Parts: sequence; C-alpha cells; structure tokens
Amino acid sequence: MSQSIDLKQADRKVFTASFDDGLVDIFISSVTLMFAVGPLTTAYINPYLGDFWGDLLGTVMFLPLWGITYLVLRWIRKKFVGPRRGVVKFGPTRKRKMSTFSWLMLTLNVVFLILGILFAVVPSGPGWLNVLPFSAMVLISFTLAAYFLDLNRFYIYGLMLGLAPIVGEWLYREFGVSHHGFPVTFGIATVVIFLVGLVKLFSILRENPFPVEEPTPQA
Amino acid sequence: MEKRQTTDGLEVEKLVDIDPLVHAPARLMVMTYLYVVDNLDFVYLRRITGLSWGNLSTHLTKLEEAGYVKLEKSFVDKKPHTMISLTDEGRKAFRDYKDSIQEVLGNLPD
Repeated sequence: MSQSIDLKQADRKVFTASFDDGLVDIFISSVTLMFAVGPLTTAYINPYLGDFWGDLLGTVMFLPLWGITYLVLRWIRKKFVGPRRGVVKFGPTRKRKMSTFSWLMLTLNVVFLILGILFAVVPSGPGWLNVLPFSAMVLISFTLAAYFLDLNRFYIYGLMLGLAPIVGEWLYREFGVSHHGFPVTFGIATVVIFLVGLVKLFSILRENPFPVEEPTPQA
Repeated sequence: MEKRQTTDGLEVEKLVDIDPLVHAPARLMVMTYLYVVDNLDFVYLRRITGLSWGNLSTHLTKLEEAGYVKLEKSFVDKKPHTMISLTDEGRKAFRDYKDSIQEVLGNLPD
C-alpha cells in the first residue's frame, strides 16, 4: 500500500482520458498544413495583390479546410470516440484551471495578432527577425497548452513548430530552399503531428470497443 | 485513551479506525477517481479503472449501500445510462481514509 494517494495523478489521468484521442493532433496538423502549403499558393497570389493582401487571402483560403476538418473530427468524436469514452464532468479545480488557460490563450492570441499585423504592415527587417515573434508565439502557446492540458507531447510540438521557421530560414540561406524552407520544415512537422494523432486515434478505437449495455448495479 | 505509540511516533491503533469499505484496492481506486471529478458515467469509470462491468457494478453497489456514492440512472437512446458521483459522506470517508493512511504509513521508519 502506498503511503499516500496521488490525487494529482488521478486528476491528470481522468482529465487526459476525456480528450486525448488524437483528434486534437489531427486538427493541429490541418492548421500547420497552412504554413507548409500556404507559401506555395501565396507565391502565385502575392505578385498581383501585394504581400499583405496576398498573405491574408492565402490564410482565408484555408478556413473552409479547417471548417470541414473540424466538422469531420467532431462527427468522429460523437459517433466513434464518445460512446467508447463515456461522460465526465470535472470538479471546480479543473474548471478553474481550464478557465485560466482559456483567458491566457485569448490574451496571448490578441497580443500576437497585433504583433503579427505590425510586422506585416511595418517594412520588414531581416528574415531571422521576422520569424522570431511567430516562433515565440508558437512556443509559448504550446507550452501553455502542454502544461494546462497535461499533454507532454505538446512541448515537443511547440519546439518543433517554433523552430520550423528558424530552421526554414536557415535552409533558405544556406541551401537556397524555396519559400524560406517553410514547405519542408512545416511539412515534416505536419506529417509527424498528423501521424501521432492518427496512431493515437486508432489505438483508442482498438483498445476501447463499443461498450455493451451497462449492467444495473445491484447487490 | 492511552495511545500505543512506538518510539518512531507510529500510532498503530489508527489502523483500526481505517474504513474497510474504502480500503479495498478496487473501491479505493474508484473513490479516488470519483473524488477528483463532479461525476462521470459507468463507461468512463470502467475505462479508467480497467475493472470488468460486473466487478465495477458490485463495488459500486457496496459503496452506494454505504451512502458513499450516488447513482443517477437514466436512459440515453433507449439504453440505460448511469452517472456516478461521490456523496458528501463519501468525500469525507475518502478524506479521512487518506489522512489516516498517510499518518500511519507516512511515519514508518525506512
């Protein structure tokens, strides 16, 4: 018998079991796909519209993809994952933690959106300087998510995606890789995250068959 | 009451006060998970505990009879659905158990 009961570990297990089904990873990969494919599309648009409007249109073009991905993943969660997973309602401590996380992410996104617009409007500096705020935003966002959601692999995602533009810029300067190396670095990160999500999803589906009708507890 | 206390400060008689209903490993696991949530359903609890339907059902019945858990039965898509939560009494029993076991075993010499 252990000398103490680790309630934090129990809370972590109950919490991560509620959503760690790989679908989040797959959705993240659909977002990061934009950074891999976006530069290729904007290369054709920007000469006509300019950098700002070209990049904006390039981003907006991905909205339907994200929307469809979100709806499909939601359907998968409702039809296949939900019945296997069951239902849980968390206590006040976890709810407070999630509320703090939501506010932090919202604030962070607003701050970085403003910074992003400033960087897009103000005449740009060297490539290294341009990618730093983006890298910082990704790194901080994923670190916060990893901490608050108790998902350690998000630290790795943060590092991978935070370093992607810097490594991409290095590839561009050293080896002349096109589009600042984004298609290569973000492409690799996207594939890795997508595969992790897919493996996670299939293992959840395999390990948790559809439950039989629950028995009525009786003496 | 005179305490049977060793030189290491181990209060042995506290072991007698430990609630045997909570002490059973499977029920202790169930109560630990229930303690950290508001409520959850049968499927969720079965998944995180790894217990069989029958085993879990038996333990829940014992806990319900003791007044430690509340089972709210309903039907979802014409199938029985049970939400499970700890009662105030169950929370107190779990806290008392945790404190007692920590007090006794936490003072054991290496």
